[in-house]
Amino acid sequence: MKRVSDRIVTGAAWLSGGGLMLAAAVVIGFLILRGYKNLDLALLFGDTPWQAAIMGERPVFGGIWPAFMGTFYLVFLSSAMAIPIGIASGIYLAEYASRRLRSLLGFFVDLLAGTPSIVMGLFGFTAILFLRKTLLPEAQTCLFLAAACIALLVLPYVIRITETSIEAIPEPLRLLGYSVGFTRWRNLRSVLLPLASRGMLSGAILAVGRASEDTAVILLTGVVAHAGIPGSMFDKFEALPFRIYYLAAEYRNLGELDQGFATSLVLLCISGTLFLIAVCLQKSAEMRWKRR
Amino acid sequence: MEETVRKIMEPILSVENLSVHFSDKPVLQDVSLSLWPGEITVIVGPSGSGKSTLLRAVNRLNELYPHCRTSGSVRLRIHGESGDVYRGFMALSELRQRVGMVFQTPAVFPFSIQKNLTLPLQVYLGVNGSTLTERMEEILRDVGLWEEVKDRLRDDATTLSGGQQQRLCIARMLALKPAVLLLDEPTASLDFKSAARIEKLLLNLKRRYGILAVSHSLAQTRRIADRVCVLREGRIVQELDHEHLRDPDAFQTIIDVAF
Ligand SMILES: Nc1ncnc2c1ncn2[C@@H]1O[C@H](COP(=O)(O)OP(=O)(O)OP(=O)(O)O)[C@@H](O)[C@H]1O
Ligand SMILES: [Mg+2]
Repeated sequence: MKRVSDRIVTGAAWLSGGGLMLAAAVVIGFLILRGYKNLDLALLFGDTPWQAAIMGERPVFGGIWPAFMGTFYLVFLSSAMAIPIGIASGIYLAEYASRRLRSLLGFFVDLLAGTPSIVMGLFGFTAILFLRKTLLPEAQTCLFLAAACIALLVLPYVIRITETSIEAIPEPLRLLGYSVGFTRWRNLRSVLLPLASRGMLSGAILAVGRASEDTAVILLTGVVAHAGIPGSMFDKFEALPFRIYYLAAEYRNLGELDQGFATSLVLLCISGTLFLIAVCLQKSAEMRWKRR
Repeated sequence: MEETVRKIMEPILSVENLSVHFSDKPVLQDVSLSLWPGEITVIVGPSGSGKSTLLRAVNRLNELYPHCRTSGSVRLRIHGESGDVYRGFMALSELRQRVGMVFQTPAVFPFSIQKNLTLPLQVYLGVNGSTLTERMEEILRDVGLWEEVKDRLRDDATTLSGGQQQRLCIARMLALKPAVLLLDEPTASLDFKSAARIEKLLLNLKRRYGILAVSHSLAQTRRIADRVCVLREGRIVQELDHEHLRDPDAFQTIIDVAF
């Protein structure tokens, strides 16, 4: 009896693990199959020579370079807002907040996590309308607004993951630092954060991934089809997911649709690269924390 | 003779009328005991009688459990000054550095062996560079661990055996230059040879530190203790000294009755 259930569980585990890999392989394979033909410099830069495009000497028409840079700025800005604040709040909730405050704040964090992204976009849009009528008549939807709304969207994930990865450290280890006389801050810095860093990394990765793919928020807060590379944080911008959406919805021939697939591949590469950077950062930090 | 010497000397640590409650459940009641330098005091008692709680009350670790309530006093004497640690005698972090503790189950930081020692040294004593390495080697030699770990200082401390981890914990405690040592069954996870080594180490250390230890082994208690306190259901029911410890059978009888 025991053996049978054991086998069923093992089999199910293998199946779901394999299924996951298969699903990922099918999606990526499909993208590659449809997109690789279009994956060239012309996709990125259109007819503009690439050196001139990268240096910003000549504007790019017909290529996805402006969208590429738009997404990059967007992800960078929103991560720069959401990750530090999220990690700090997670630490506060796990280590400093009283039990009552923790459950109260936790409720709001969950509420924020449950907010659909289109609602977040509407919020940004309304905020701009309000600003126009009151303090800043010339305010408009822009890169900064979109980044702020996306930051708000991913913030709860970062908070929750930071909090749970600190709380997951077993009690004896959490108290160990105090027994050698560490202050709360020292214990946090030298013991808890290094031990929780892996969990915090997955929070950051989730935030980056979410920020790079979201379309609903930016749709209402400043993305447009042809804006070029934004000159400042207060300009309109292009973004890869919006470009993909646009190509998929309004393609005039199959070539354009395939361009959409190639663009998806590029988006995948961006988030993949960002993941890799995050993993490397965390690994080297962990080495430093643990060895010396 | 000994008694007169003791009367002249002041205790390094004295616990007075200490009571500890965990969410209204009394765990220690009205416990009083004193610790003199040059002596090892051993606490024995059945499981759950509050031995670990008593040790944690001395360096105020119990306070990390939010539902814990402590009353009474713990007086500590350091460099000729003395005061009640529950009434602001010294900062918490200094107290825990002066009153070192080794836990019942070895508790190393999940970092490298080296870092387990250097982290507290850097934080408190501001030692760095070559002094740091020298201090580390010296302490590891003191606890007889140097030969075993000198080639793997950068390995994770959790890869050490239980006994090695326990000695690393003792080393970490000694690195902070404490005045009083709290040892919660320091040889519980050790084979008899490593245990004998630690016992020898403790007999060596007692000249320099006040030592309060918990032991489950009566044989060990007889070997290392200068005084024994028997704890039962949170109260000290008996205190024994050298006289009682001399004769194994008499000691056994007393313990049997007390348990
Ligand atoms: N953090 C805690 N919260 C609630 N109760 C606790 C806590 N720590 C200890 N106790 C209770 O206090 C009592 C004494 O525990 P303690 O660990 O001091 O016993 P002990 O004498 O060290 O036992 P052992 O020999 O098994 O280590 C036990 O009944 C235990 O359940
Ligand atoms: Mg115990």
